[in-house]
Amino acid sequence: MAQVELNAPAPDFTLADYQGNSVSLSQFKGKQHVLLVFNRGFM
Amino acid sequence: MAQLRQDYDEFVERETAVLVLGPENQQKFASYFGEHNLPFTGLPDPKHSVLKLYGQQIKIFKFGRMPAQVLVDKAGTARFIHYGHNMQDIPSNTEMLDLIDSLED
Repeated sequence: MAQVELNAPAPDFTLADYQGNSVSLSQFKGKQHVLLVFNRGFM
Repeated sequence: MAQLRQDYDEFVERETAVLVLGPENQQKFASYFGEHNLPFTGLPDPKHSVLKLYGQQIKIFKFGRMPAQVLVDKAGTARFIHYGHNMQDIPSNTEMLDLIDSLED
């Protein structure tokens, strides 16, 4: 079961962005750092 | 998010992609991002699939209405995890940028 642990591999995922493009966490590996912001609502 | 937008260039300079996930649907994301002209990647997660994935087995990482941030380095390793205790409890951009700077060995 995936979990988020400090200094351990972050769980990979794939979601479509709001423009319909597929985005996976793994696509950034070796290329960019990633800041994941879990927003709790736009309000 | 306005603050994130303000410093977005700094993240780009540090080769950091900014992905914003939320429970809203694609339409609301498109509308909000368009209205506020946000340059980062917006990932609607109305099924809470990734929210749950990242919420499992971290006791303090409860997905109530609190914000959370995870910084993943280029190797795919989670190097920083922050769970907010209130809606304003978000690490400052300066803090995040300094953290990213420290990742470079």
